[in-house]
Amino acid sequence: MIDPAWVSGLAAILFIIGLWGAFSRKNAIVVLMCIELMLNAVNLQFVAAATHWGDVTGWVYAVFAIAIAAAEVAIGLAIFLSMYGQHETISLDEVNLLRN
Amino acid sequence: MSGSEIIDYAILIPLFPFLAFPVILFLGRIFNGTPTWVKNVKEGGIIALTVMGASLIMALLVIKEHMNKVGAADVFTWFESSWWESSGEITTKVFGFGIYIDHLTVMLLFVAAFLCFLINIFSIGYMNTDSINDNRNHRFYAEFVLFCSGMLGMVLADSFLWLFIFWELMGLCSYLLIGFYYERPSAAYAAKKAFLTTRVGDVFLVIGLVMLWNMFDGHLDYAYVFDPENIARVDQGELQIALGMMFIGAVGKSAQFPLHVWLPDAMEGPTPVSALIHAATMVNAGLYIVARMFPFFMEAEIGALSTLAIVIAIIGGITAVMAALIAFVQMDLKKVLAYSTMSQLAYIFTGLGSALWLANNGYDDIAAFAMGASLFHLFNHAMAKGMLFMASGSVIHEIHHAHHEVAHHGHDDHDGDHHDDHHDDHHDDHFDAQSMENMGGLASRLPITATAMFVGSMSIIGIPLIGGFWSKEGIIASAWKVALKEPIFFLPATLILIGAGMTGFYMSRMWFMTFAGKPKTEVAEHVHEQTPWIPIPLVVLTFMTLGAIVFAGMHAGHWLGDFESGHYTSFFDGIGYEMSHVFLNPDLFLLILTYVAIGLSLVIGPTFAMALYGGSLDEGQKAKPWMQWAINLSARVNNKSKFDNTAWANSSLADSLHKRLHFDEIYDAAIMKIVVGFANLSAIFDSKFIDGFIKTIESTSQEASRRLRALTTGSARDYIMMTALGTLVIFLLLWGVT
Repeated sequence: MIDPAWVSGLAAILFIIGLWGAFSRKNAIVVLMCIELMLNAVNLQFVAAATHWGDVTGWVYAVFAIAIAAAEVAIGLAIFLSMYGQHETISLDEVNLLRN
Repeated sequence: MSGSEIIDYAILIPLFPFLAFPVILFLGRIFNGTPTWVKNVKEGGIIALTVMGASLIMALLVIKEHMNKVGAADVFTWFESSWWESSGEITTKVFGFGIYIDHLTVMLLFVAAFLCFLINIFSIGYMNTDSINDNRNHRFYAEFVLFCSGMLGMVLADSFLWLFIFWELMGLCSYLLIGFYYERPSAAYAAKKAFLTTRVGDVFLVIGLVMLWNMFDGHLDYAYVFDPENIARVDQGELQIALGMMFIGAVGKSAQFPLHVWLPDAMEGPTPVSALIHAATMVNAGLYIVARMFPFFMEAEIGALSTLAIVIAIIGGITAVMAALIAFVQMDLKKVLAYSTMSQLAYIFTGLGSALWLANNGYDDIAAFAMGASLFHLFNHAMAKGMLFMASGSVIHEIHHAHHEVAHHGHDDHDGDHHDDHHDDHHDDHFDAQSMENMGGLASRLPITATAMFVGSMSIIGIPLIGGFWSKEGIIASAWKVALKEPIFFLPATLILIGAGMTGFYMSRMWFMTFAGKPKTEVAEHVHEQTPWIPIPLVVLTFMTLGAIVFAGMHAGHWLGDFESGHYTSFFDGIGYEMSHVFLNPDLFLLILTYVAIGLSLVIGPTFAMALYGGSLDEGQKAKPWMQWAINLSARVNNKSKFDNTAWANSSLADSLHKRLHFDEIYDAAIMKIVVGFANLSAIFDSKFIDGFIKTIESTSQEASRRLRALTTGSARDYIMMTALGTLVIFLLLWGVT
């Protein structure tokens, strides 16, 4: 049995990697993947905490979060598809219609 | 309230014309221009005539029923609504409509209904034969019936609240009717002026009514406010102020000094409207509201309200002389009559002032007499003035048509504008059908009109035994009776005595300038009476005016003033009594006064007029015998006299009279100074203070938003960053709290 503290630490590292990726990458799909990474870091954190406290609630949350993440990815990919249809690119630097 | 009395249905009198208003308007819009509508319905004239006839019949029935009862007021309440306090008790009647009929109502009801009907007949002759009015007469008749409805409703209403509502209805209709030829700037201006000037008075009327409402615990209905117990309870000084405020409203409506400026300009409307405003409705409204105050003066503490009575009489006296003076120089036929109206109304105000003073000082008997004389004068004046206006309308109408015939070649563009701008009197190419300078010698050419004018003028002047004589003598005698008791009354009493002579001058001047002498223009030679609709009301009213002796014989004067009981004596005894009372009064002072007044009005005034303006007719022209003698006499006086007309015409007094004693200029200047000054001040306040405040808010928020805008880069990564930072801040905050 791995100490939940290690799992927690891994989750924190994964989250920071995801956050850094979401900030720095141009490609929308990569950004989406980074967001997924952050989500999964949180899931991991849930599981770790559940193990630590011996409470199943955290596991249930993790399962919910996975289901919601699936839906989110579907929407996100749909948005990128339509973005590509209109702008012929999925580079986030090119798409800034909300500027000012 | 017993079931089946006519009075229960008195509401129909104002209701008929009120309902006809939309009917005529909409039918007019639908059928405008179709032959049936123009020929058979007279563009709504027949509908109007029908409803006015129905109203007149109803009014006569109501009057007959009331006369049979003798005495106290009939009250019939149509609906009431009440104000519920939280305790569940009904405390105040706030709104309700009912009919209140006493002698005063009866008299005004008859005048209004009768004259509205006759003027309606006249309108059909006058309005429907001028091409300028084509396709808009339905508007005239619709407004006409609404106006009549306002007047009839006002005299029948049982509370000051409803009186005010109908009062304002009339104000609106006068605006619409005076501005009937709205495409002419002078008419639009006159309409505005009439509306705004009466509005000044109305503001005070509202203040007065609110004060009354306060004093009488939320009651404005006559039944409550005329109750002696209630009158005795209220603060008498406050009551005087409230009534004074209402009197200012009456001054505006009845065109008395200093709110008289609108009346002469109101001549811009079609002549039937002038007749309606000056005889039947509008100006009588002011008199009516003052006459309505009579019970207050009767029941208030002795002497408590006499200041107001004196003010009323003095305003009357000043207006009587001032208006008569201005009438001396007017060249416009209708404007002479307008000023004459002002002057005669002023007589009635003086009479009412005397009556109110007497009532307030405990002389109930002579107060009733003075009141009766004033109301009888109202009646006589309404009949005579209605007739005079219609006769003047007839003259103008026929002159205009004659002008059309004479100037048939090349003057076709003048089609129908007989109301040409009055300021262009002396332009050759602008023929003014209203100017007496274009008339003269019409007595033989317009016999019916001339007779009507003759009788009407005599009634206004107060020639013995005709119409206004009975009432005018009564007013003058009453004013002097008060003057013997209250010295300050010498002012109005003297003024109206002088005014009697002046009336004799300006009315005679008008008649002789129009009907005697040689025709002054080619047009006047071609005048003749055409349409049958115009002479009918003239003939009826001529007999009405001559028949005033009948009313005098029935003690109408006494009866009108007496709100407690009615008098009916035998008719011939009545005439005998009136005759001996007027001509052989046992009181020497009154006897001398009577003969002075007769001398002034019968001899001095007309003689001057004959000397200045008299003259015989053309060769071969012959007037009717009852006028021929006057024309012959005027020619003789004119030949003998050595008056030089031009000296008078060039004097500075005549000049300032032409400018209406500069009232309009003074008012204009005052309005320029006060209103424009105030407007400028407001403009500064507005631009500097209010705008400044608003603009500061606006520019600050713009600046702020301009800066905030820089944050929206449009880049998704920046937003993610902000979200992350925001989450971090929230996290830190939560951490700090725990």
